[in-house]
Amino acid sequence: MRRSPQSLRMDRRLLILTVGLFLLITVLVVLTAGSAGAAPSFQEVSNDTCLSCHSQPDLSRTLPSGEIWSLFVDESHFGEAVHGQEEIACVECHERNAVFPHPEFVVADLRGVSLQLYQTCQKCHAEQYSSVLDSVHQRAFAAGNFEAAVCTDCHNPHTQKRLTDETTGDILPEARLHIPETCARCHNAIYETYHESIHGAALTDEDNRDVPTCIDCHGVHDIQDPGTAQFRNDTPLLCARCHTDPAVMDKYGLSTDVYDTYVTDFHGTTVALFEKVHPDLPTNKAVCTDCHGIHDIKSVNDPEVGIALKENLLIKCQRCHPDATVNFPDSWMSHYIASPIKHPLVYYVNLFYKIFIPAVLGGMTVYVLTDVYRRFIARGKGEAH
Amino acid sequence: MSEQTTKYKRFSLARRIEHLVMLLSFTTLGLTGLPQRYPLAGTSVFIVDLLGGIENLRSIHHIAAIVLMFGTAYHIIVAGYKVFVLGMRMSMLPSLQDVKDGWQALMYNIGRAKSFPQMGRYTFEEKMEYWAFAWGTIIMGLTGFLMWNPITSTKFLPGEWIPAARAAHGGEAVLAVLAIIIWHFYGVHIKRFNKSMWTGKMSEEEMLHEHPLELADIKAGVAERSIPPSVLRKRQMVYYPVAGILTVVMLAGIFGFINAEETALTTVLPPEDQSEVFVPQTPTPRPTLAPTATPLPSPTPVPATATVEGGSAETAEPFTGPTWDHEVFPIMQAQCTTCHGPAAMGGLNLSTYADTLNGGQSGPVVIPGDSANSLLVTIQEAGGHPGQLTPEELEIVQEWIDAGAVESVEPVSAPVWEGDIAALIQPKCSTCHGAAAMGGLNLTTYADLLNGGQSGSVVIPGDSASSLLFTIQQVGGHPGQLTPEEIDHVQAWIDAGALEK
Repeated sequence: MRRSPQSLRMDRRLLILTVGLFLLITVLVVLTAGSAGAAPSFQEVSNDTCLSCHSQPDLSRTLPSGEIWSLFVDESHFGEAVHGQEEIACVECHERNAVFPHPEFVVADLRGVSLQLYQTCQKCHAEQYSSVLDSVHQRAFAAGNFEAAVCTDCHNPHTQKRLTDETTGDILPEARLHIPETCARCHNAIYETYHESIHGAALTDEDNRDVPTCIDCHGVHDIQDPGTAQFRNDTPLLCARCHTDPAVMDKYGLSTDVYDTYVTDFHGTTVALFEKVHPDLPTNKAVCTDCHGIHDIKSVNDPEVGIALKENLLIKCQRCHPDATVNFPDSWMSHYIASPIKHPLVYYVNLFYKIFIPAVLGGMTVYVLTDVYRRFIARGKGEAH
Repeated sequence: MSEQTTKYKRFSLARRIEHLVMLLSFTTLGLTGLPQRYPLAGTSVFIVDLLGGIENLRSIHHIAAIVLMFGTAYHIIVAGYKVFVLGMRMSMLPSLQDVKDGWQALMYNIGRAKSFPQMGRYTFEEKMEYWAFAWGTIIMGLTGFLMWNPITSTKFLPGEWIPAARAAHGGEAVLAVLAIIIWHFYGVHIKRFNKSMWTGKMSEEEMLHEHPLELADIKAGVAERSIPPSVLRKRQMVYYPVAGILTVVMLAGIFGFINAEETALTTVLPPEDQSEVFVPQTPTPRPTLAPTATPLPSPTPVPATATVEGGSAETAEPFTGPTWDHEVFPIMQAQCTTCHGPAAMGGLNLSTYADTLNGGQSGPVVIPGDSANSLLVTIQEAGGHPGQLTPEELEIVQEWIDAGAVESVEPVSAPVWEGDIAALIQPKCSTCHGAAAMGGLNLTTYADLLNGGQSGSVVIPGDSASSLLFTIQQVGGHPGQLTPEEIDHVQAWIDAGALEK
C-alpha cells in the first residue's frame, strides 16, 4: 500500500516535532545542569547551578590513590564563610568548571587536588600569596616536600570565616582564639604542647586574648624558619614586645624590666650585641626560650617545673653549664633589679661605686683645676713657682 | 757641660718597655671592656663590630688581661729584686709626707701657700697613680677571676658574688679609665709634656721642678747605695730561689685563672622541646571538611575471616569496623613507615598487612582481637614514640585490632539488585538518573534500569565489560562517581547475571 502525500507530510511533521522537542529538552536539561554552551562567563553560572550537584553529601570521586575526594560543598557552611558572605561565585575560583560536563581533571591523590587548585587564590589575594613565597612552607615545598602548607591548608575557601576587621585590617578577637587550631592540622604535636603551656591554656581555657598565638611569634604567610640563628638572636626582642608593655603586663602583675635586666646580664649583653652586629651568627648564650621553654612555657611559679624554684633553675643552668653546682643559679639575678632586699651585695657594690667614683674623680678634678688656675691663669699675672 | 744638656737617667729600658706593655694592655682592656658594660650604646656597637663581634672582643679582652697579669708578676719580681737585693729605698711607698705635700700643693695653687712642695723621686701625684693602678689591678683581677670562672667560684662562694663581681669590675673600669684621663693625661701630658717614660731621661731643669729632693740626693751622691759584690752575691743566692718559687706560683696562678674550668658548652644548645614539627591530624592535610559525617552506602561485606569460617551472606554480620586496607594502612604509611617501612627498624615492617602481622624482633606487634596486649598499641599508649599517633589514630588502630585485625572486606556472595545494588545506586545516581531521567536513563527501579537510556542498554547481564553502567564508572570523573569498592560490587553483580533478587 502506498502512503498518501498527506500521511507522508504528517510523518515529516511528526519527525520535525519529535526532533525539535528532543532538542528543546536537551537544551533545557543541559541548561539546568549548568552549561550554556561554550565559554560562559561566571555571571551566567550561578552558585545554585553548581550546588544542584555539589550539595549532595556523597558526591565524590575516587582518586587513583584510592582516596575518596569529596566534591560536596556544604551550603550552610559556605553561607557563613567570608566568600559566601561576599557572594563570590563558585566559578570565579573554579573557572574551568563553568562548563558541563567539566573538563577532565587529572589528579593522582587528594594532596594533588589542593596543589592544583591553591594557586587560584592569588587572583584576589596577591599580597598574601606573594608573602607566602618567602616562607618556610614555600621553601620546604620548593625543596620537594609537597606536604608543606599551601593557602587552602589553612584557609578552606568554602568555610573560612572573616579573619580581619574590614576597616582596620586587624585580626578579629574571636579569630585569634582559633589560630592555633589551624596550625595544629599539621603541627599537632606542637599544638598539644602549646595547649598545656601558660599561654596556650589561657587562650583555650580562658579565652584570653592577650596571650600570643602561633602567629604572634612566627608571623603569618611569610613564616620563617624558627631554627635559624637569626630567629634565636631575635628571641629576646620578640618576647619583649609583650613583656615590656605595661598595658599588658600590669594586668597579670608581671615585671616589664625583664628585657633590660636580661641585657644587663652576661647572656643578654652577648645576645643583644649578636643581634646588632651579627644577627645571622649563632651564639651559645642563653635566650629567653632556653630557660623558659618555647611552646611549653610554664609560669615561673609552677609547682613542678617553675624556675623560680632554684632546683628547677639549676636543671636549666646545667644544660649549658654541666658542672654547675647548687650556688650557681644565684649568679643569675632572675630579672630583678638589685635592691637592699633582692641581691643586696650587688646593690651595695653599685652603691659604693656610685659614691666612690664621683668622690675620687671629683677630688682629682678639683686639684687639676687649681693647678690649671695656678699654672695657666695666675702665671699670666707674673707669678710662677 | 751646660745645665740644659745635663740629663739624668730616670727610667731604664726595661721600665720603659714595662710601661709600654701596661699602656697597651690597659687601653685594650678599657676599649674592649666598656662596650660590655654599655652594650647598647652606639659607640659600643661600633667597637664590637670593628673587632669582629662580641666573642672576638671578649677574646681580645682576655688576652689583654693575661698580658696585664704577666706584667704584674714581672713587676713584683723586679720590685723584690730592687728592694731586697739591691737594697734600694722603697721610694714608691706612700707616707704622711705625701699627704702634707698634696695639701701644700693645693694650698699653693689657690694662693694660700708661699711655695710648691719640694718632692723626691716620686711625687704624691705619681704615687697616687701607682697605688690606684695597683688597687685597680687587684680588684679587676679578683672580680675578673669570678666572672671568668663562675662555676669554680660558686663551689665556694654564694652565687650572688658573680653579678656583684660584674658590678665591681664595671665600676672599677669606669673609675680607672676616667682617672687616667683626668689625672694621668693632665699630670703628664698637659701640665708639662713629660717624655721621660719614652726617653728614659730628664733634664736638670725638669728635675729641679719635679723632683728637687732626688736631684739633691743625686748631687750629694746618696741616691744610690753601692753594695759590695760579695754582699750582692749572697743576697742573690737567697733571692733567686725565692723569686723562682714565687714566679712558679704566680705563673701557676695565671694558668689556673685561665684554665680553671670549661664554663659552658661551646655549641648552641638545641631547644628542649623536641616535638616533631610535622604531625598532621589527618594523614593528608585536608582543605575541605572531611565528609565522614555521611557514611557512604556500601555493600554489606563481612570480614575476610568470616568468609573463611563459612556462613552465608544472610547469616554473616555485616562488617563495618576498620580494615587494614581502608583505615589502618594510611595511618601506618603517614606515621610509621619512615622507620618501620622496608628499612624495618627493629625488624618491624608496617608497610604491608602480612609484614605487620609478622611483627619484629620483639615478636608479634598485633594480636588480633586483643589490642591491650598488642605491642603496636601499648608502645603508642605509653606516648613519646618518635612516630606518635594522634589519640584518634590510636583509637582506630585499637578498634581494628579488637575487631580481628581484618585486612580488607570482600563481598561473600553474588550481589543482587534489591537491597544491595539499589541501595548503592540510588543515593549516588538518582539526582540525575531518577525521575528526571537525564539522557533517558532512570535507575530507580530494576525494570527502568534494564530499559536503559538514549545510549541503549546500560546493563548487559553477565557481561560487565559491555555494560555502560560499569564502563562509564570505570573511566571515572562521572558526577555521581562510585567508589572503587562500589564499582567492583556492581561489576560482580552484572557478571553474576544482574539478578533482581
